[in-house]
Amino acid sequence: MAYGSWPGDDDELGKLVPLYVLVGGRTTPRNTSLDLATQVIAYPSDPAALEPQYRQIILSCGDWISIAEVAAYLDRPLTVIKILVDVLLEQGLLAIGAPAQQTVINRGLLETLLDGLQRL
Amino acid sequence: MKRTSVKVVVAGGFGTGKTTLVRSISEIEPLTTEELLTEASVGVDDLAGLTDKDSTTVALDFGRITINHEVVLYLFGTPGQDRFWFMWDELAQGAVGAIVLIDTRRLDSSFAAIDYFERRKIPFVLGVNMFFGERQYTEEEIRGALHLAAGVPLLWVDARDRASVRETLVSLVRHALSRLPDEAKV
Repeated sequence: MAYGSWPGDDDELGKLVPLYVLVGGRTTPRNTSLDLATQVIAYPSDPAALEPQYRQIILSCGDWISIAEVAAYLDRPLTVIKILVDVLLEQGLLAIGAPAQQTVINRGLLETLLDGLQRL
Repeated sequence: MKRTSVKVVVAGGFGTGKTTLVRSISEIEPLTTEELLTEASVGVDDLAGLTDKDSTTVALDFGRITINHEVVLYLFGTPGQDRFWFMWDELAQGAVGAIVLIDTRRLDSSFAAIDYFERRKIPFVLGVNMFFGERQYTEEEIRGALHLAAGVPLLWVDARDRASVRETLVSLVRHALSRLPDEAKV
């Protein structure tokens, strides 16, 4: 069981409640469109009312940010962050952008990308 | 339009300059995130010789380029160990395409990456990293050795050089555009 092996010696996070309890035993996000590049942003809320793990995510998402960046900044495995993000989405505390892996790679998007790269 | 992220995969064998390439063009210091390995993901044999830490997580390096207010590009380096194919699937799904970096001294270390993207019909360009010195082989020699399909662009790239990396990305996006099916050209 992967989550059971999570070290409990983290100073800032994870010391109060095991992650698998916090996420209700979820091992995969229910929203399967969550990709590591999916953009998330926090809705206005009172983060103080949340458990530390969730609060850290909300505080990381003041502006659009990818799930991978949240995981990197909080030093958490991607899967764990995805599940926590999934819970926050269900609670209406986070919004997501277009799911990356469902992005229709169309001509318009590629041309936007090309223009942007050429302006770098 | 919703905030949209697009992905480019940077693949290639160990030591081909993937992280260097990401670092050269990323607007942020490249970040590292880890994915947990479950027992089902990795065969017992694959764990031989790895430390305890390596056997439970796999590291991913990535960088970011903001294209405009609505579109942001992420460059993901594939895990250094090619056997972590389950991570490649997540990286490659929905990606614009891939840059496969090769080191001409170790062509064989990039066969797996080329094969992966060819099979999935994901657009890719081959980047011959000149980090290690001069062009020891001609383009034809490299194409021949790798059995590279005629349509796949081959570029000489200096992974340390931002302009060189940018041109490689531009070539990849142009290649992806050229491969759009007709019905998507609306």
